[in-house]
Amino acid sequence: MIVPALIGSLPRPVSLAKKIEQYSIGRLKEEDLEKAYLEHTRRAFIKLREAGIRVITDGLYRWDDIFNPFIRFIEGVEVNGLFKFYENNFFYRSPVVRGELSLRENPLPEWLNQALAIKEEVYPGATLKAVLPGPVTLAYHSLNEYYKSLDELSEAYAGVIEEAIKELPVELVELQEPALAAELSRATREKSDEVSKETAKTLIERLSKVKELWVVTYFGTPQVLPDNVILNIDLISGSVPEKYSGELGLGIVDARETKMERRDRLEDKLRPYFRRHSRIYVTPNTLLDFLPESVAWRKLKLLGKLGGE
Amino acid sequence: MELPILPTSIIGSYPKPRWLLRMYSLRELGRLPEEDFREAVRDASVAVLREHERAGIDIPWDGEMGRSEMTEYFTAKIAGFKFYGPVRVWGNAYFNKAAAVSKLEYREPLVLDEFRWVKENTTREIVKVPITGPYTIAEWSFNEYYSSKEELAFDLAKILNKEFKLLEKEGATFIQIDEPAMLNHPDEVPIAVEAINRAVKGVKVKFGLHVCYSNYYLLADYFEDIKVSQFALEAANRNFRDLDYLKKLIHQELGFGVVDVHNPRVESPEEVAKAIRKVMKYVEPERLYINPDCGLKLLDRRIAYQKLVNMVKGVEIVRRELAREGKTSIPFRREV
Ligand SMILES: [Zn+2]
Repeated sequence: MIVPALIGSLPRPVSLAKKIEQYSIGRLKEEDLEKAYLEHTRRAFIKLREAGIRVITDGLYRWDDIFNPFIRFIEGVEVNGLFKFYENNFFYRSPVVRGELSLRENPLPEWLNQALAIKEEVYPGATLKAVLPGPVTLAYHSLNEYYKSLDELSEAYAGVIEEAIKELPVELVELQEPALAAELSRATREKSDEVSKETAKTLIERLSKVKELWVVTYFGTPQVLPDNVILNIDLISGSVPEKYSGELGLGIVDARETKMERRDRLEDKLRPYFRRHSRIYVTPNTLLDFLPESVAWRKLKLLGKLGGE
Repeated sequence: MELPILPTSIIGSYPKPRWLLRMYSLRELGRLPEEDFREAVRDASVAVLREHERAGIDIPWDGEMGRSEMTEYFTAKIAGFKFYGPVRVWGNAYFNKAAAVSKLEYREPLVLDEFRWVKENTTREIVKVPITGPYTIAEWSFNEYYSSKEELAFDLAKILNKEFKLLEKEGATFIQIDEPAMLNHPDEVPIAVEAINRAVKGVKVKFGLHVCYSNYYLLADYFEDIKVSQFALEAANRNFRDLDYLKKLIHQELGFGVVDVHNPRVESPEEVAKAIRKVMKYVEPERLYINPDCGLKLLDRRIAYQKLVNMVKGVEIVRRELAREGKTSIPFRREV
């Protein structure tokens, strides 16, 4: 069975961005901004239904990048300037770790409850998952001024994530973990320390006992293969490791190029995986933020057409 | 042609006057005739040119008043590009990322009008024409047509080469190629180098190359291969630390960035002078130009102006010191 799914974000509509900007300079009331979030989420869910995407996220409309605002809810973290997100012309605000990490506040359950309510109304058949950055990717993208090693830092992040996901009103949680597959670009930063593969595997498997996990990797082939999770793999710039036999999400549609894939070619590409997997999730290969909105939706519609037995 | 030693210049962009930004919005809403918009751009252009000259800049430009953005301005003029809509760069900042959907062709001049206008209005002998380079345009576009980024970048190089020849014929003497993305993918740097070399081929003007906020050690390995006579690089943003990559800059000139464009604090003339003295340990003054780190457009206009004023004052301090050694001018060098 092929199940079309969304991973991470949808492109933030310009109309929503304008509202957020107005709010930030005091020209829009908070309740009007909230209304805008809900209205855009509703529109997105209707379009996801029409496209036939069965597992969805809330599109991360409240998120500037995969780390923000989550890192703003963590004690011990300050938010720094802009850094290039891998080799993309896309920038994130980096966490600076200045002290021991703990979860300070958690608006995620409330946001998810709102999304769930909208989903029940316009697309009850879909499964909604939460999205958070994973501990390994968080550690790699932090400026670490406190913990002795990246291993320790990722462990501290895992503790915070565990706290955060315990309280979520959904069963399925997506962890954005590109760092399991992608090298931090030499163009951006020289890497001096790393999270060991064993630590990465242990931490993610520990989190998988709290909620069902969908671990999303991209920009390479995952070097860490956690058990008991759905592992999403970027087939555009990576491949499925021979020894992986767990549940599989395949990023088969290129979210960094506007060129449309051919449906028959995608179906050919999927065929070999059915020898080992009875169910496969099909997704974009990475965040849809890298595409203009119109193209992103065209690609989602294409994914939706792949769905079925 | 002679220039005072340590010639001062800019990188490209400058804050747009607020009234001009209003013109941009009105135009976007379709409430401003194109003719009026063009007039506004030209007036702003002269205003900024004067501002550069008043600050004492030897080699000015108009601060890119007519350019909304550094790739869209060019891709919109090249046949074969299509726009699907804006793409987010961070937060709520977007840009219109073009998609190459058919073979790219030179359709109309890219910056010729800008150059003519500046040339007509400046009091200076030399102006610097900044143009986004072939690799950066390729890197910041979608590619639906070409079989590789290399092919795309090389076709862009061909188009830029045509423009450069046109500019040369019109009397341009100094063109700066902006390649902020050329070090994005370490493995693709040779493609960027080749694209730049194809773009400058057969054009006898001075070429500079500006690269910013990247790993310069990666660039330094290619200094000798890139056929430009000057590299304009940022250093203030790094607090003038870690300049050892300059040991590899043996022949060409350095356009040294002494003003941080991401920080509203105005550097003092003495700070600027100190930075120049430091870089002179790597590059002799006869091969040095002085400029801000990058385009100034994100700053408040008054602060941008004050930064240029202090930059020139700082240069003047060092010039007085150099004058005692009899060093007062350098030839304007075009050859690589
Ligand atoms: Zn720059």
